[in-house]
Amino acid sequence: MLPLFIIIPLAGAFIISVTGKYSRKVSYTITWLVTFVLMVLSLKLLIKGGFTSYNIGGWAPPLGINLVADGLSILILVIINTIVFVAANYSIGYIGKYTSKWTYFALYLVMLASMNAAVLTGDLFNLLIWIEVGGVASYALVAFGTRAEELEASFKYAVLNTVGLLFILMGVCLLYAYTSTLNMADMAQILAQKPDNKLISFVIVLFLIGAGMKSAIVPFHAWLPDAHSSAPSPISALLSGVLVKSLGIYTLLRVMFNVFGITLLISKTFLIMGTASIILGGILAVYQNDIKRMLAYSTISQIGYIFFALGLGTPLGYFAALFHLVNHAYAKALMFMTAGAVVNAADDIRDIREMGGFGKKMPVTSITSIIGSMSISGIPPFGGFWSKLLIIVAAIQAGQYMGAFIAVIISIITLSYYLKLQKHVFFGELKSKWAGIKEAPVSMCVSMIVLAAVCIGLGLLYVPALKAIVLDPAVNVLINGSSYADAVMK
Amino acid sequence: MDLILYLLAVPFVAGLVCAVIPKKQRLIAELLALAGSIAVFLMTFIIFRTNPVNFQLFGLELFRIDNFNRFLVLFIALFGILVILYSTKFFPKTDKFSISSFYYTSVLWSISAALGCVLANNLILMLVFWGFLGLTLYVLIQSNSPDSKDAAKKTFIIVGGSDCLMILGIAIIWVLTGTLQMDKIFLSTADSTLALTAFLCLAIGAFAKAGAMPFHTWIPDMAPVTPAPVIALLPASLDKLLGIYLLARISLNLFSLSLPLTAFLMFIGAVTIIAAVFMAMIQHDLKKLLSYHAVSQVGYMILGLATGNPVGIAGGIFHMLNNAIYKSCFFLCGGSIEKKTGTTDLDKLGALAGKAGMPLTFAAFFIASMSISGVPPFNGFVSKWMIYQGLITQFQNASPKFQIIALVCLVAAMFGSALTLASFMKLIHAIFFAQKKNEQKGEVNWQMWLPQLLLAGLCIVFGVFAFALPLKYFIIPSLSAFNLQLSGNLIGFWQPELATMLLIACIIIGIIIFLASFSLGSVIKRHKIFIGGEVLPENQRVTGVDFYQTIKEIKIFDQTYALAQKKVFDIYDWGKAIVNAFASALALMHTGNMHIYLAMSIMGLTILLYVFLGK
Repeated sequence: MLPLFIIIPLAGAFIISVTGKYSRKVSYTITWLVTFVLMVLSLKLLIKGGFTSYNIGGWAPPLGINLVADGLSILILVIINTIVFVAANYSIGYIGKYTSKWTYFALYLVMLASMNAAVLTGDLFNLLIWIEVGGVASYALVAFGTRAEELEASFKYAVLNTVGLLFILMGVCLLYAYTSTLNMADMAQILAQKPDNKLISFVIVLFLIGAGMKSAIVPFHAWLPDAHSSAPSPISALLSGVLVKSLGIYTLLRVMFNVFGITLLISKTFLIMGTASIILGGILAVYQNDIKRMLAYSTISQIGYIFFALGLGTPLGYFAALFHLVNHAYAKALMFMTAGAVVNAADDIRDIREMGGFGKKMPVTSITSIIGSMSISGIPPFGGFWSKLLIIVAAIQAGQYMGAFIAVIISIITLSYYLKLQKHVFFGELKSKWAGIKEAPVSMCVSMIVLAAVCIGLGLLYVPALKAIVLDPAVNVLINGSSYADAVMK
Repeated sequence: MDLILYLLAVPFVAGLVCAVIPKKQRLIAELLALAGSIAVFLMTFIIFRTNPVNFQLFGLELFRIDNFNRFLVLFIALFGILVILYSTKFFPKTDKFSISSFYYTSVLWSISAALGCVLANNLILMLVFWGFLGLTLYVLIQSNSPDSKDAAKKTFIIVGGSDCLMILGIAIIWVLTGTLQMDKIFLSTADSTLALTAFLCLAIGAFAKAGAMPFHTWIPDMAPVTPAPVIALLPASLDKLLGIYLLARISLNLFSLSLPLTAFLMFIGAVTIIAAVFMAMIQHDLKKLLSYHAVSQVGYMILGLATGNPVGIAGGIFHMLNNAIYKSCFFLCGGSIEKKTGTTDLDKLGALAGKAGMPLTFAAFFIASMSISGVPPFNGFVSKWMIYQGLITQFQNASPKFQIIALVCLVAAMFGSALTLASFMKLIHAIFFAQKKNEQKGEVNWQMWLPQLLLAGLCIVFGVFAFALPLKYFIIPSLSAFNLQLSGNLIGFWQPELATMLLIACIIIGIIIFLASFSLGSVIKRHKIFIGGEVLPENQRVTGVDFYQTIKEIKIFDQTYALAQKKVFDIYDWGKAIVNAFASALALMHTGNMHIYLAMSIMGLTILLYVFLGK
């Protein structure tokens, strides 16, 4: 089952790039079908649970490349495939104004394949390759509008991420030289027997930078606001909601927890970088008047919360971090979709001060946007409230009083910038120049409603029965760092 | 248990249904909302008759009924019914008062959330309901006017932001005690700074919701632009009940307060009373003036609770109830006046007391005014009297240093009461007696005056029969929830029934004298208003607005007022300024120049290398 997650989207991308030129309908249908099938498969995998692995070409792990689905992979895989499906559905309504739609959908599926593969692969070099593939697809998608601003954003994104990737490459090379293997599980077992030395510390730093760049954590965050705000909105939803998490955070987690083994120093680094991200992203988001840029800074801040919770180093902290990751993925995807609907309706104007009173004309967008905002701001009973609650409880439990206080203060600021967005866009008097705006097309509305429903329902992950299926296996992977290697090499 | 679940589910489901009913069929939504709220009221009555008990759900003791919360649910449901009844006529089908389809949904959900909040026995569960109430308030503020967007944002930031602080407080409590069940938590703020922090975090939440200083600024801002029934429902009654409910719970059940903290609470109470009432005196807008009184009255409740002795606490709780009653009566009356005259500007109102005006609204407004000013025999007097007694008791038992504080607070409370009366003189004069300006359009529909008169009637009943009804059934039993008992030796002696008889007798004698002198041949003389011989132009009239202009012009006050107008004392604007200062500094680093971004990354690399390889 595991290779299907890579083969199906790649095949779909291939078919689209061959036939898409001649029929628009084919690219729509294939994208929709592919993403739908993968979503069902990922949910099936989630319900089945446990640990699955697959050896490509039948070659056993230390020599061959294997695909591994453990709790953490499955959690991220489900997030990827559900959001990608919803965003694909959304894209069908959204993409109308662009030309060469088939390129968009082909790149879209390549990006999906790369994210799935990066999350599933058990091989370090393979992981690097898939990150790069996903990166290239996303550089192209960011530039898809081909206006000056979009090209510039794409360029910055590409340069900074490639720099980061080079650091990872260097890290992989050093590790290969040191352990003579590229399989992550094998490498973890070999590293566990070798004494600590400076080389490992150096490689850890390289990975922190490379994957940190992908996860947009301060001070490696600067490319994100440009890239995420310039991309077409469904792509922004994927970049903020999924890509950052699957290629950035996942890589960091897998390498730090399962290959090197988490140390106090790494935890502290997560904690400090996370706190810095929380503050910087939150405060800069208040300052923005560009709707998508505000959301992009908000992503930096929320990623900060995830790292902050990871850095607490307690089981409750890990749980809170992953819970927040799930909540943020869906809520931010939703927010970018509603932003896309608004920007589309407002003739590509992104400055919220020029809008106003859209709520009456666009009820679905307005209500879903409020739900997304409330979820990220942590207003009960939406999903985000529960993860924020857990993060603060975990921080107090770990004795990080100052950090907890900062988290609280910035969450007030989070609420304030989301309310600023709501106030300017959806409430107030409708200006006469917007008298003609219409609600978004049906496919976009459906996607937004689905995600809004998910945002409301995610609080249920706190219920023990669901928690045991969805979050606990992933948390266990982080708590027992060495269990990954044992399970793979068995 | 089932009953509580039904109690929460009925308004919630009714609200859901209301949301999907199309706008054209508003009558159905109105009837449904009304039926839902009446059903809730009947159920709360059963809860009121239930003995204190805890309820389990999912293995946690999530809900409880005790002597304190069981009478609150009754009143929450009552306010719900009255406001829904009032709303059916307040919002006409068209023009600027037409409302969003979420109005009744939000009202019903607010009722549900408020009920859940007072019945919850788990801090997290309480916080969920509490926070949800902030969201419904945000939606309700914006239910019919596009001007309310700024006020709604500010309200939700203050109310929702304080919820975030409450999370911090709850987290600390959980780490300190290992439980979230409210009746198992007991902490002393004298023991550790952590417990003190937890208390302050929760108290800030309570203050923000109830509107105590310095977290009150959202109320005066939202009042002028919010539909009157919304103010009557949330900031005037439910938010007050919940805020003071939480304050009572944390300061009497969950924590034992150290002496300095008590003094601090009393200080906040006294400042709130005086400062807000001074602001109220100079207002020109009916709803804004009332909203400052809504803030000012919170001070009394805090004072009463902070005394820590049974009389004062009973007084504080009774005042919370009374305040909710007369304050929602005020806002409903204000809404009627706004609907009939189209304005809330005191300059433009006048002469509404007559038969051609709004006699029923006038009666209700007058009774509520007497009540809030603490005039006997209305309910406001009784509760204030109990609070004074609490302060005097505290004065007698305290150390010399503390005696001064108690005395100052007592003076502040009494002075505040006098000023309240003064500002209502102005208000009543300006609205009902001042020279006529507008065409009179008569009284509002029964759906609107009935709630007003009912609430005014409660003001009288709770005042005249204070000991026989509300104190006996609601307030005194609730003290047992805090393990307190009202001992017999009260300092003052107040028999409302007797006093009322005497008052009525006095009034009757007065009328007899008046009639007698009238029949004996005295003549009523009517004079024009004396204006020093000037000729009054046609377009000028004397209103009540400038009654207290002289106070505004006193040396120190004029500057303070000017600063207050500039919002120098507004905690929200402070926060905004601080965040903006940080943001503009950070924005300098994010110019879009890629070299700076790369440099930042390299700097990060250097620091990380130093940290990991430095030693």
